[in-house]
Amino acid sequence: MKFKLKIWQLISALWLLIILLQFNRLIELAVLWIKYFLLCFNDFGVAISLLDFKLLDSLLALIFFIVIPLLLISYRRRIKFLNYKLNFSNGVIIILLITFLMAPIITSENPDFQKNLSVTKHLTPLSKVKVLHLKIEDNYESTLLNKFLIYKREIIREVFDESIIYADSMGEMAPDKIIYYQKNIMKELPVEKLIENNGIPLITTKTFLLGTDEFGRNIFTRLVYSLRISLLVGTGAVLISFLLGITMGFIAGYKGGLIDTVFNRFAELFLAFPVIYLVVLILALFSSSLIAVVIILGISGWMSLFKIVRGEVASLKQKDYIQTAKLLGIKTNRILFKEILPVIIAPVIVNLIFQFSNVILAESALSYLGLGAGDSYPSWGAMIQSGQEYITKAWWMIIFPGGCLVVTLFTANYFGRRINKFFNPRLDK
Amino acid sequence: MNNKFSKAVIKRLISSLITLFLLISLLFILIRISPGNPTQKFISPELSPEIAKKVAEDFNLNDPLPEQYVSFVTNLIRGDLGISYNYRMPVIFVVWEFLSFTLVIAAISFLVQIIASYYLAVYSVQKQNKTTDRLISNLSLIFYSTPSFVIGVILIYLFAVQIDLFPTSGFVSLDYDSLNFFEKILDKIHHLILPLITLSITGIALFYRYLRDNLEDIYQQTFIMQLRANGLNENTILRKHVIPNAIGPLISVAGIELGILLSGTLITEVIFSLPGMGRLTIDSILTRDYPLIIGCTFAAGLLMILTNFFADLLKLKIDKRLLRGNVI
Amino acid sequence: MQNNKLDRELIPIFYIVGRMSFSKLFFIAVLSSAVLFIQCEKKTPAESNQVVIGISADVQTFNPLFAFSVDEGSITELLYLGLFDFRWDEENGDLKSYPMLAEHWEWAKDSSSIKIFLRDDVYWTDGEQLTTDDVILSFDLFSDPEVNSRLYGTFRNMYTDESNHIDIKKSFKEISKFALTVYFPDNSKPKLNEMSIPILPTHIYGKIKRDELNTSETNFNPVSNGPFKFLRWNRNQNITLTANTKSFLYKPENISELIFKIIPDYTSRTMQINKGEIDLMELVKTEDISDIEKNQSFNFVSVVGREYDYIGWNNIDLESLSKKNKIEPHKLFGNKNVRIALSHAINSQEILEEYLLNYGEIAVTPVSKIFKKYYNPDIKLYDYNIDKAKKIFAAEGWRDTNNNGTLDKDNTEFRFTLYFPSGNPLRNYASTIIKNNLASVGIEMKIVNLEMGSFIDNLYEKEMDAWMAAWYIPIPVELKPYWYSDLEMTPLNFVSYQNKQIDTIIDELEQKISDERKKELYFKFQEIIHDDQPVTFLYWIPNITVYNKRIKNIHITPLGSITHCWEWKISD
Repeated sequence: MKFKLKIWQLISALWLLIILLQFNRLIELAVLWIKYFLLCFNDFGVAISLLDFKLLDSLLALIFFIVIPLLLISYRRRIKFLNYKLNFSNGVIIILLITFLMAPIITSENPDFQKNLSVTKHLTPLSKVKVLHLKIEDNYESTLLNKFLIYKREIIREVFDESIIYADSMGEMAPDKIIYYQKNIMKELPVEKLIENNGIPLITTKTFLLGTDEFGRNIFTRLVYSLRISLLVGTGAVLISFLLGITMGFIAGYKGGLIDTVFNRFAELFLAFPVIYLVVLILALFSSSLIAVVIILGISGWMSLFKIVRGEVASLKQKDYIQTAKLLGIKTNRILFKEILPVIIAPVIVNLIFQFSNVILAESALSYLGLGAGDSYPSWGAMIQSGQEYITKAWWMIIFPGGCLVVTLFTANYFGRRINKFFNPRLDK
Repeated sequence: MNNKFSKAVIKRLISSLITLFLLISLLFILIRISPGNPTQKFISPELSPEIAKKVAEDFNLNDPLPEQYVSFVTNLIRGDLGISYNYRMPVIFVVWEFLSFTLVIAAISFLVQIIASYYLAVYSVQKQNKTTDRLISNLSLIFYSTPSFVIGVILIYLFAVQIDLFPTSGFVSLDYDSLNFFEKILDKIHHLILPLITLSITGIALFYRYLRDNLEDIYQQTFIMQLRANGLNENTILRKHVIPNAIGPLISVAGIELGILLSGTLITEVIFSLPGMGRLTIDSILTRDYPLIIGCTFAAGLLMILTNFFADLLKLKIDKRLLRGNVI
Repeated sequence: MQNNKLDRELIPIFYIVGRMSFSKLFFIAVLSSAVLFIQCEKKTPAESNQVVIGISADVQTFNPLFAFSVDEGSITELLYLGLFDFRWDEENGDLKSYPMLAEHWEWAKDSSSIKIFLRDDVYWTDGEQLTTDDVILSFDLFSDPEVNSRLYGTFRNMYTDESNHIDIKKSFKEISKFALTVYFPDNSKPKLNEMSIPILPTHIYGKIKRDELNTSETNFNPVSNGPFKFLRWNRNQNITLTANTKSFLYKPENISELIFKIIPDYTSRTMQINKGEIDLMELVKTEDISDIEKNQSFNFVSVVGREYDYIGWNNIDLESLSKKNKIEPHKLFGNKNVRIALSHAINSQEILEEYLLNYGEIAVTPVSKIFKKYYNPDIKLYDYNIDKAKKIFAAEGWRDTNNNGTLDKDNTEFRFTLYFPSGNPLRNYASTIIKNNLASVGIEMKIVNLEMGSFIDNLYEKEMDAWMAAWYIPIPVELKPYWYSDLEMTPLNFVSYQNKQIDTIIDELEQKISDERKKELYFKFQEIIHDDQPVTFLYWIPNITVYNKRIKNIHITPLGSITHCWEWKISD
């Protein structure tokens, strides 16, 4: 029994899923937008100065969310790929992209948020904790700006939160105080400190979908944000490789002669070299940061692209129509774009996809060895490295990031193979 | 024919030497443009002043740049890579001690990869498109996509922690010296099983795919049908006609695979605490032992250039057509 | 891909393998795996009387002159004895001295000299006898700037020349082959533990050129005088020492072989001790204790009070020091109330509970609890209280005026970088929590992880605004190198803390005063430090040692786990 679903159906299903599960979050973000608009009208300068990455991210996520169904509805017939059959790799890619774009909607927490370690450390997947919501004293003047800021702080979570307390379980209810347990230690709070909902103090339950790590941080959230880092590093590095490879390939193929030989030797050197030694050496000599990793991985991947482009350019150079074009005086740039690019597009794309998967693998290996982007960004490799310390106690710290890595890499490789087959069809028996 | 062959060999040799030269220059440039005092990259404050002076002289650290470059190149070619901070011994000796281990395990892994992938590919192509074939194919893609450290950690968990079948790390057991010769060898093998599996799986997956695709392509060619029509049985066709055709491109892949193998040993040695060059590199990076880091990188590069040179020679011998011209 | 058949003369690997029938290969594979599985018994230290200790890194030398790391120190101390033996007196919290290479000694009445009488039954492992010459040469080598040993520059209470090299003629007078007198300069306060350096053989080290000592071959094949002698060293695998039957410390019923197995990875070490492949390991993480407790074959001892972690706030402004050579308070950390507020904002209790699992103790003063006489129990912790911290910051003028979430004052944002040396999982863990703690009061902290060498360089050059590190405290108590105001004289005062009252206290402590007065002074010292908070004290780190119950007569003290290991016995 084969599912004959189409891509647009998957997208719609995911969209509906997000609405169902994260309805509250969507409303919160919408209200945030409205308040921000009001602030803009009121005091444009301040509003612009407040615009930092996190705010922009959340606002954009909501926009994507609204735009997607509109796109689906209006362009469903016209855009071809929306109507492709769904298979494993397509599906995974769609899920990854949606997670990337709408991360602030999918998970409302901050990946570095931690609180009450005694309760939240090393929780197994699907464990629950009780959340006590505290009242916050409001000493601020209630201007529009302050209202906005307070609301923003609630929505765009920071790494700390003064307004909640986690507890393992609740004790008996007394009329004037709340008794709760944190790891078998009994603690109590006067009732007035909690927010009340119709006279009943507000105590909710939180479920950690995939468990927590050694700092009590939600693994699911960290996976989502690590995905962003991996995709970013992948895209950045591939872009650099692409630009480098095409430029050098074109120059080498077109000019030929000494430059050609020198570039070829260089390419051989890089191809022959176990790149990880070079990357590790460079990251050791210079410090390791996100930008450095992207640049290094980009620089270490230009070779195969170079060979493809150079090969094509060198062979095409001899062709008559190119010679004619040159004689006609058409600029080299135009020759490149109009004649050569369409020919090499196919192998280049395949190559880029494989390069993408290599970069993600390399980035995770580097963060596993401790040389990655640093600890201000969560990364699958780093999660696996800290998980290895607790391998006997917290298997989920390794399985989930490992699983994500395997699925992503597998999809990229599988997708690359399919595209390859698409461009070079073979006669099947 | 001999003449042409030696000509090609010489061409290859020159090409390798140029690559070596480029490598050394690259290292030199990297040392100079990285932040920090360049002298610090050769001399640690902990070295005794006498040794520090000697190193400074050997590498001409106080002279202008061009002379530094020349002495750097000559030193590296001669094998003088400076003195390691941690080991207080010339880098070349330190690297040599650890290199032998890495070479052995890489060689064994290479053989294992070739044998295993061969049998898998042949088996698979004979059962084309049936369930087994599809299964192995997809499995190979999964293994290829799994990073080696994930595989290694899971193997340790399953086979060393849960089931006490293999040791968790290290190369030799404690009472190694009291074992007789035969037992010594077995002890080493015992420690190397998990690391070998970790190291080889990705390569097996890669070779398997490549070989299987090649074999499939060859099987589809018309001359196979001809041979079958002539009455040759499958086995002979396989051995005498299909395999030799598939070898050529495979050797080039094998050459690149050696590079991947060296990188693989780096991670595997760290996971299993094996005394090899990969772990030496990482340890030296964590302690900022610059002469040693540079030495390890140089050794890795040199190794690669050598193996590629020999792989190219082998390829030349096999396909004499390549001798006629375009050897790029 | 070409269609033509290729040359079949050559035999690539595949061809060979391809020729072997599948069944043959299979048979070989089965045979080898069968042999392998036979081999699969657990390997435990076969002989009794052998103890295996797991250490985290290989040593670089067996020469005590250059034994910089803790492991190198412990191993060389087993190979090379000193004049005196020191044991820890638990009750008084103090060191007690016993004879070792010195049989007895007599102080002169005014402490200006000491007569030392050596044992006459100490032999080097190559048969030569240990004499006064060896003692004198050892002092010479350890203080020679050309040698640059790990103790260079520390012989402040002896006659030295301008380069801190001990003046041999003035300091030592040989009485006989086994006795000597040591002279000290006036106004010096010589102590026995300063003179208990490892003694080296003249007939070996006297013959080597001083500048070649570092790379000499004898470093790897030592001629020693201790209860253990060097047997073999498999680099990066293990070091084996065997009992020196000719040593006066030797007893046949005690352990006969000591093996140090090098296992850099912590998880491998714990797995190996659980499987019985090693017998003892130090620095066990607190979360593994429950597993070890379940295993009936182990004991564990937690020694607290040798090492504490702290956050150093640079008290002075670095720019004005380097450019104008003036000492001005640091813009962020110069004010003591700000430092107190920072201590309120850091939840060290949580780190202690969650990571150290309550092994270890909160630190409030630099004087350790193990010094029972001098520890002031009335100093209270600045508890974790975000509101209090916020109020103090506000009172000192730090508010978030531009609403970007960070406190600011006079156009300076409260933003800084915390450095710490890498390789310590506790500090990695703590840094993340501290970062979040400070974020909740509005302070932005970046974390930078340096490797030990560069970190130490930066410490000495005073290039960091804030850092997290540990102090391994000396026994007996020493305050001057860390807290004295004269910054030139005390390079270890990394935060550049200056307080005249503290100076007076420290100066007085160096005089000969009554025990009562000493106690008063130490108590006052701790009060003032607490009040000024030059650093934020975090916690005393436990050194947890786990060992197999078969080791008997083992005493783990603040001095170390394997000191006096020649007294261990094995009982199965």
